[in-house]
Amino acid sequence: MANQSGQVYGLTILSPIVENERIDICHATELRWYLASLPRDHTSPFARVSSTHLARLVVMDDVVFVGAPAHEEHLKSRYLVFETNFDGDLDTYLTRMAREIPEVVESVWKHCVGYPGVADPAGFVAYMKKCQIATTFFFADVNDKTVQQNLRALQVQSALAHFIEKNQGEPAAEIQKSFGVLLERLAKAPAPLPGGDDSEETSAEDRPHD
Amino acid sequence: MNAITPMKPWKTPLLRVFFFILGAVKPLQTDLKNLSFIHFARWVIITRHQFPQLSPQQPREELRYDYLMFFSNFNGTWNQYIDAFSAVLSQGLNAIWRWSEKFPGSVPVTPFKAYISQLQFDTDYYYNAYPRAATNDVKAALRVQDAFNEFVKTSQTLSPSDFEKAYRQFLVRVQADLGSTGMAPVGT
Repeated sequence: MANQSGQVYGLTILSPIVENERIDICHATELRWYLASLPRDHTSPFARVSSTHLARLVVMDDVVFVGAPAHEEHLKSRYLVFETNFDGDLDTYLTRMAREIPEVVESVWKHCVGYPGVADPAGFVAYMKKCQIATTFFFADVNDKTVQQNLRALQVQSALAHFIEKNQGEPAAEIQKSFGVLLERLAKAPAPLPGGDDSEETSAEDRPHD
Repeated sequence: MNAITPMKPWKTPLLRVFFFILGAVKPLQTDLKNLSFIHFARWVIITRHQFPQLSPQQPREELRYDYLMFFSNFNGTWNQYIDAFSAVLSQGLNAIWRWSEKFPGSVPVTPFKAYISQLQFDTDYYYNAYPRAATNDVKAALRVQDAFNEFVKTSQTLSPSDFEKAYRQFLVRVQADLGSTGMAPVGT
């Protein structure tokens, strides 16, 4: 299935945006303002839906006229494009969105035609599927690891690089002892936060992106 | 990056056949894989009748063209990306976009960049679970993780001298994969 590469699912959604000429600020503009205010780091709503590798939301105003002799044409609606790459299956992911970030889903999709709300997650899933466009070709460079596995590997890589640098030239017995401490520290280290963590409370060695 | 190009509907099945072959014959993806700076990319064909209409009050689209949408999540700058695409994947790109109206070809790069600039549209919200790691960093970290797990399993009970030997072998194995991650330098 083209929507899937390995264990990663590539979802493409086109939701028509409500047009209402009688309101002062159009829905597309309000939606853009809201999207601009959303955090993009570990406090992002998509960090809460933790199976998300990468996601984007885009207001598409129109199709593009590439110049004569091509025919010029225009869309009658604007569309919200939601493109996301996540682990697992579609129903689980959309249900997680409805349950874990309902306020964000509501604030985004309330501007879209036919949005049923999130009170009934099954209704939201059905709505999103109506807006889904099948991916024709999907490329995922790493498609056999979850977000958490990638983050954990980055954390180990960072901690190990610090360890090797710090212990360069030390006697073997010392390195062996310190390596045991490193293992304990890694075992106790909190799971890395998706979305990036620059807070001072996290030591540089534990940051998966440092 | 987001881009959309119009295609005459009779060309759409031809492009679908090309994508089918690209998906089925893995060696055709080798250059794309070897470029190793794209986390995820997708091409989505949306036919002129396929734009969702979710209410009778929403006017139905009346279009002559089908459209090819392209979304890419890549590392580095736009110029680096397009330059690399043009230099390394020109034949593949031509095979994909030759069906789109007024596609100038991916070489030479100047008209190709002008074309892309014309048909791309901006992202309003973007989230990345590992924003400071390029796709090469992720792949390197996964190799380090594998080597690390193996080393931990075999080195726990060694004497200091045997540990030293095993540790050195471990370092040789992972040394090329220990580069630090972080914000990419800005370049053009």
